[in-house]
Amino acid sequence: MTRATSALPRPLRLPGLRRRTLPRPGAALWRGNGALRWGVLLLASLLVASAVGMLVLGDPNEQQLADAFAPAGTAGHLAGADPLGRDVLAWCARGLWTSLTVSFAVATLGALIGTAVGVVAGYAGGIVDSVLMRLVDLSLALPPLLLFIAASVVVAPRPATLVVLLTFVAWIPYARLVRAHVLTERERPYIAAARLAGTPAWRICLRHLVPAASTAIIVLFTLQLGYVLLWESGLSFLGLGLQPPHVSLGYMIAQGRDYLASAWWITTIPGLVIVALMLSFNLIGDGLRDAFQLDVEEAVHER
Amino acid sequence: MVRSALARHPFARLAFSRLAQGVVVLFGALLVCFALSAATGDPADALTVGQIGADSAQIDALRDHLGYGDPFLTRLGDFFAHALQADFGSSYRTGGDALGAVLAALPNTLLLVACALTLAISLAIVLALISVMHRNRAADRSIRGALALVQGVPDFWLAVMLVLLFSVTLGWLPAIGFDGPRSLILPTLALAIPVLPTFVRLMRGNLLDVMKLDFVTSVRAKGLGERDVVLRHAVRNALPPLITFTALQVGWLVGGTIIVETIFAWPGIGNLAVDAVKARDVGVVQAVVAVTALSYVLLNLVADLLVAAADPRIRMVPA
Repeated sequence: MTRATSALPRPLRLPGLRRRTLPRPGAALWRGNGALRWGVLLLASLLVASAVGMLVLGDPNEQQLADAFAPAGTAGHLAGADPLGRDVLAWCARGLWTSLTVSFAVATLGALIGTAVGVVAGYAGGIVDSVLMRLVDLSLALPPLLLFIAASVVVAPRPATLVVLLTFVAWIPYARLVRAHVLTERERPYIAAARLAGTPAWRICLRHLVPAASTAIIVLFTLQLGYVLLWESGLSFLGLGLQPPHVSLGYMIAQGRDYLASAWWITTIPGLVIVALMLSFNLIGDGLRDAFQLDVEEAVHER
Repeated sequence: MVRSALARHPFARLAFSRLAQGVVVLFGALLVCFALSAATGDPADALTVGQIGADSAQIDALRDHLGYGDPFLTRLGDFFAHALQADFGSSYRTGGDALGAVLAALPNTLLLVACALTLAISLAIVLALISVMHRNRAADRSIRGALALVQGVPDFWLAVMLVLLFSVTLGWLPAIGFDGPRSLILPTLALAIPVLPTFVRLMRGNLLDVMKLDFVTSVRAKGLGERDVVLRHAVRNALPPLITFTALQVGWLVGGTIIVETIFAWPGIGNLAVDAVKARDVGVVQAVVAVTALSYVLLNLVADLLVAAADPRIRMVPA
């Protein structure tokens, strides 16, 4: 009896086939991927630490001038205090939150806009495509940081304006990546079949082309979180990004620059927080990239 | 006529199309510059804020002098006319020529970028070679692990930490300023280390791709050891993509120099740009943007043509 069943034609057992052709998200991805696991774990613990810190440590902008330059390890200032007596640890907890929200907001907005533009450009071709590709050239010619600095002549840095400003640059790599995927994908027979069946163009884009590029988009998203984090904190460090009362890690690092010899903690500790956050983003990104076997950076040429 | 001549010379055609793309990019960069000055609003107001005794007639005179009283399109036309003659007006702060200030600072930036690139590329090649020759073994894994960590270090923080270690704690090297080769060491490190992981990853990927090619198999069949295969045959074929990639990175490296120059008080264009932005000195900012875009375009043109000249296969493919 068992023999008879096993003699049945095998090709019908689709799950085995699907596992080989499509990377299945979820358990398998999680189990076989140390980088991804550690990255998610690190990111989660940073999130929790930030939330707890914001609840417990109070207002990061509160100045206790008597405690100015309190060294790391002092009671009440575990990570020390800055020249104005602000608690470095409270600042880090809030700054971590700022960095996370700005990074996710910019990368999400960029992904949405860039995917839309990339699909249209790749599928429609023609003038839209040429304009897009010249924009991409331009974005490579002008370093993002220089653009942001130049733009900060114009707009006052608040979290909302900062997100808009960074999104101006952040959508471009997605557009380029999605376009590249669409260019190869649209030549596949199943797209021709869909078109013959009378599927409208928008539906082909949404149901077939975007999903085909989705893994690449996700990998790029995780990589971009790190870039945005560096842009945000770098601008703030230069005094051109978020400034108090907005809380940014870059600002605190700049605060400590003049007191390196006497108060190392003001600069070192917020920097370590950024390194930890970057590490979690990069681990997740690298893990996903290895799992999906994609070299997104090459397709986009970012950084 | 031109068309047919171009069709017969693939190299000329490639050069022509790259040149055309470069011109478009420059045009876009100038548009960005103009948008900046248009969006900044009236510098006459900013300049006279807090100036005691500036009456409205004086402000109007200044506005006319700066050309901000004209209609929008006239200003756009004027801007392009001047920009094409390499004239970005004068710096509000110094009164000197804006472009002149940028060009005076440019060699310092280029020196820094050149040193950092040389260091990053040579280190990247060595690390990639070690990594490929010992692939998936301890050396490879530790190189990749270390680079993953380096990739997470923000460039500005790295620069400050270098100062803390080498200048403040050990006292070996000067922290800021611009005197002698010794003051070049820390800025170079601060600029080179953050880009190193990307370079190594690219070079390693290139090498591994080359190692899959047929000629490598035949060299191996000849009886050459892994060391010779990599060092004598694979490396050379893995280099061209690195050239193009380096040229593409220059724009981003300039972004990196902005931060490094600010920290080390290096008298380059990045430092100039930040100071100019803080003083709302739009002319200088525009000149920095334009010069950066121009150097990017020129470098990429040269890199593309170099690679095409070195590799006949690229010349044959229509651009």
